[in-house]
Amino acid sequence: MKDKELETKLRLLTLQLDNWKRLHDLITYGLDKAKPIISSEQERLFTEIRANLLQETEHVFKKLNVLGELSGKAMNVLQRASSVRGVRELSGDEIRRMETEWNMVFTKLGVVQGQLKGLRKDLAGRTFLGYQLNLLLGRLTPAH
Amino acid sequence: MAEVEVRNCPGTSGKVPALKRTVVITIVETRLLILNADPVFQDKALAIFDMMDKVETRIVRTLSEAVLALLGENFDAFVVEGESTLALEQATNARQHFPSLKIICLVPDLSEEKTGRVPDQQNITLISSEQSTHGLDRELKTFVHSLEKPTGTPAEGIDPCHSLIGNLNQFTAAEILQMSCLSQRSGRFTFKSSRGNSEIYLQHGAVRHAAFGSLEGESAVAEIFRWRQGRFYFEEGIISQVQTVDRPWAHLLIDNLQKLDETLELVGV
Repeated sequence: MKDKELETKLRLLTLQLDNWKRLHDLITYGLDKAKPIISSEQERLFTEIRANLLQETEHVFKKLNVLGELSGKAMNVLQRASSVRGVRELSGDEIRRMETEWNMVFTKLGVVQGQLKGLRKDLAGRTFLGYQLNLLLGRLTPAH
Repeated sequence: MAEVEVRNCPGTSGKVPALKRTVVITIVETRLLILNADPVFQDKALAIFDMMDKVETRIVRTLSEAVLALLGENFDAFVVEGESTLALEQATNARQHFPSLKIICLVPDLSEEKTGRVPDQQNITLISSEQSTHGLDRELKTFVHSLEKPTGTPAEGIDPCHSLIGNLNQFTAAEILQMSCLSQRSGRFTFKSSRGNSEIYLQHGAVRHAAFGSLEGESAVAEIFRWRQGRFYFEEGIISQVQTVDRPWAHLLIDNLQKLDETLELVGV
């Protein structure tokens, strides 16, 4: 059986992780001094990803119950990384802080994704009736 | 995902032990590519797809991401969700580059004023995204069921009459057709991929006929040019009675490579 709430969380998480990965790719490019050219297309893509993250992060984190833990860190990353060129001009300290915070957000989201996938796997072998009975008997933690 | 089902052959009942068994490999997953610019907040249809069994979805936000995905992977259908005019424009654009792809548009307004005659002309199915969840669920399930393919297609073995056998991962259709046309071959190329089977008939180094599903002629050649996965084999001496292509190979090659370039331009490659 499938759990609607669980499937929604996994979909949101996949979209969110995808955006964080793409943001990281562009930040890494911006920090690479061996690549001097930053195209307008890269800047446009960066702004688009950043805009998606800014509007979706809070909603997704709330759904995943990680708002308190990750919201501040995610906002710090998004505020520091204002553009690919902006990233290139950050000081060494700011870059380190940004990378640490990005890593914290990414790690936590990855762990939650693994937990939800594990739950989905458990549910796949169950019937609706069996699942409800287990919930009643307290043998299974609900997906939400 | 592939499921393997083992079943006894008929005629093996009785005192003789059932030793003879048939292995049927069934591909059960339907893959959908969904273009939705706002998949976090506009997710009514996505939630329905989530709950469907044996449906795998990939969500993209822009047309260029969609084209990139369609070039690299096989999908059973392309779902475009969004505001009526924009979604139809994106679906029409995709149709130009992927003529055999099944496309549906989930739009809030189905009125002819907004959609015109484009859906009919471009073979795009329109579904209203503003209807009740129950109605939308029913329509989407009907659509997904219509995509289910016939199962149990046996894999072809090596046949002595296949003078050339290969894999499209290593050689593109353009390369092998170029080679065969230059050496003035006559015969039939069969291309097999998860998208289906297609055939191209050559006669003295020129393409005479091509067929893929309901597509025939140059549009079928154009479709096969985009395949990057699958197998092919050539059978010498099989000539088609039908002629659907009458242009020289060089023209077809240039036109199709140009079309492919245009498709790649969309993804900024």
